[in-house]
Amino acid sequence: MKNPNPKIILTLFSIMIGVFISTQIKMKLETITPITIRSLQTMKAEINALNNEIAELNNIIKMKEEELALLENIAKGDDNIINILLEDIKYNKIHSGKTALEGPGIIIKMYDNPEERPFGYDLNEDVIHDVDILNIINDLRIAGAEAISINNERVLSTSEIKCGGPIIRINGRSSATPFVIKAIGDPKVLYAAVNAPGTYGDLLKIYNIGFETSIEDSIYIPAYTGDFQFRYAKPLGKDD
Amino acid sequence: MINLFFALIGILIGVVIGFLLPYTYDTTYSLYVSVAILACLDSVFGGIRSNLENNFNIRIFLSGFFGNAILAAFLAYLGDRLGVPLYYAAIFTFGGRLFENFAKIRRILLFRGKKSN
Repeated sequence: MKNPNPKIILTLFSIMIGVFISTQIKMKLETITPITIRSLQTMKAEINALNNEIAELNNIIKMKEEELALLENIAKGDDNIINILLEDIKYNKIHSGKTALEGPGIIIKMYDNPEERPFGYDLNEDVIHDVDILNIINDLRIAGAEAISINNERVLSTSEIKCGGPIIRINGRSSATPFVIKAIGDPKVLYAAVNAPGTYGDLLKIYNIGFETSIEDSIYIPAYTGDFQFRYAKPLGKDD
Repeated sequence: MINLFFALIGILIGVVIGFLLPYTYDTTYSLYVSVAILACLDSVFGGIRSNLENNFNIRIFLSGFFGNAILAAFLAYLGDRLGVPLYYAAIFTFGGRLFENFAKIRRILLFRGKKSN
């Protein structure tokens, strides 16, 4: 092989590299990162979450199919529509708080610090505030409380808990200390949700606020007596 | 200087040609090709250097150009099969040599400039 001009050779091969580079760029590659154990684990968690979602969706499909079968039966005249609607009403009433409920749960009694304080002591630390009640209610809901009442006033998703000086207003009605919060649900879980170390209920005890919890086998929670009226919100779509 | 200029012009022409050509390859080979490109770049820099040192040999250049590229791509492939990122070996070696070659080219060019002054 004769020795041709090296410059020409170099140019030719540079052209070749250029062609490769540009084809590589053209493909708009995603950046390649090495797989780490962490990324593997996150991927696994993602897959699990997706699988759970799929399972849930399948359940919904099953439910909807059952509903469809029911509706078809109604259309055929096998089932009485009135019975089904009555059951629907019952279900909706229970879930909207329009019926009194009974079941196992806990009763919490909260009252202001009964100790006498020297003159000039900050009163605020001894009084139960709306925020305290709200936090306790929220803890109960996290623990799976199905129905909650405060001083026999049913607490709904729309219920306000408002500070009114020495009293607290719930559903537009005033309540005074002591506050008796009743909650239906798994008693052990509910008890733990307000009594375990580090919870808000535990914190209240540090401030010497009266906080007594008792587990009951049968708690009566009254129905909501007010009215539901939407002035601004309008239903959208026909699906439930 | 001229040599580097040739290589740069060549790469630019190649890039333009590559963009104009409609061909692409499968994305699964992209890692191998990118490692091979690095090896080729190293060979071209080596070629420029040897040309400046006046001992350019077409055989050494050609065998290095293709041999290194193929070996680098093969290492990347093997690493993929084995689950060990073996292409790092190619990247470090050729990347390091690339800078080494460039450093020598710079020195030669600068030294030459001084001489002519």
